[in-house]
Amino acid sequence: MNVDASPLTKSARYRNSADRTAVSCQLPTEGKSDNVLLARLRQGDEGAFAELVTHHHSALIRMAMGHVANREVAEEVVQETWMAVITGLDRFEGRSSLRTWIFGILIHKAKDRGVREKRHVTFSSFEGASDEVGDPSRFHQSGKWVGHWALPPQPWDDQTPEKILASQQAVNAINRAIESLPGTLKNVLILRDVEGVEAKEACEILKITETNLYVRLHRARERVRQAVEVYLAGQQPAL
Amino acid sequence: MAQEERDQVVAEITCHEVAQWASAYLEEHVGDERKRQIAVHLAMCAGCETYVKQIATVRDMIRQLSQVEDVPSNMGRLRQAFVDRLNRP
Ligand SMILES: [Zn+2]
Repeated sequence: MNVDASPLTKSARYRNSADRTAVSCQLPTEGKSDNVLLARLRQGDEGAFAELVTHHHSALIRMAMGHVANREVAEEVVQETWMAVITGLDRFEGRSSLRTWIFGILIHKAKDRGVREKRHVTFSSFEGASDEVGDPSRFHQSGKWVGHWALPPQPWDDQTPEKILASQQAVNAINRAIESLPGTLKNVLILRDVEGVEAKEACEILKITETNLYVRLHRARERVRQAVEVYLAGQQPAL
Repeated sequence: MAQEERDQVVAEITCHEVAQWASAYLEEHVGDERKRQIAVHLAMCAGCETYVKQIATVRDMIRQLSQVEDVPSNMGRLRQAFVDRLNRP
């Protein structure tokens, strides 16, 4: 039995600025490496299983949270997902990547649970929401410059991602913005920007078109951008 | 470039449209003609240039923030279930 449990001795945490230089383990989950991982899993390699869980758990929780009422229920949904992965390992045919399969199970279970909790009303009403990116009043509504900036965004100057993220307040603001995204937008943001899933695979997991993917991805990023904008405006010394 | 000519080029695509296309543009998911329109617009419109840069910054920040490793509270049970899988008849 594999007794190396090193990935599990680390507690969950958001890395702070001091140790952000450390990069998370890049678990090979695609292509040929998928076959290697799958073979290890099928042989009962506990270390491989622990790595797989550690690597995807937080993204799965965040995605589940977009569909169900609270963290507790999300944990249950993710637990059910891992159990389904364990029992389905021998039946998994590898027609999609392992990751696509796992996230597909999660989304199915989370949506199902969300519907049973009657939260689906919120989502269907969101689907009909306007296409507006951000605040339409930031653009001229009429005249020669219709559609052009009335209130252009203020440059963030020398604010690099690293500088902004050095502030815990900024990190909190961004996390809150992500947490409050509706499920349909959160799914896309988590898959593309958090997990780094390629567009094609993300579309496969979510069963949406690529155009739709980019529309949702952009709406999600725009909400986070607004949160950063508000945060930075609050940092300006009063004039 | 004359002001009039400049206005015309910027007007080929509105700032609102550039803003809506920002993510698709950054990820290279726009057609050649649209890409050209956006590139030309960005070269002349400070507001849109700022906006697209901010979206790229947001994307990069989310990527960095996501370097989180989380372990389920019931990892022990999951591991047990994983081990038991092979012991099933
Ligand atoms: Zn513009």
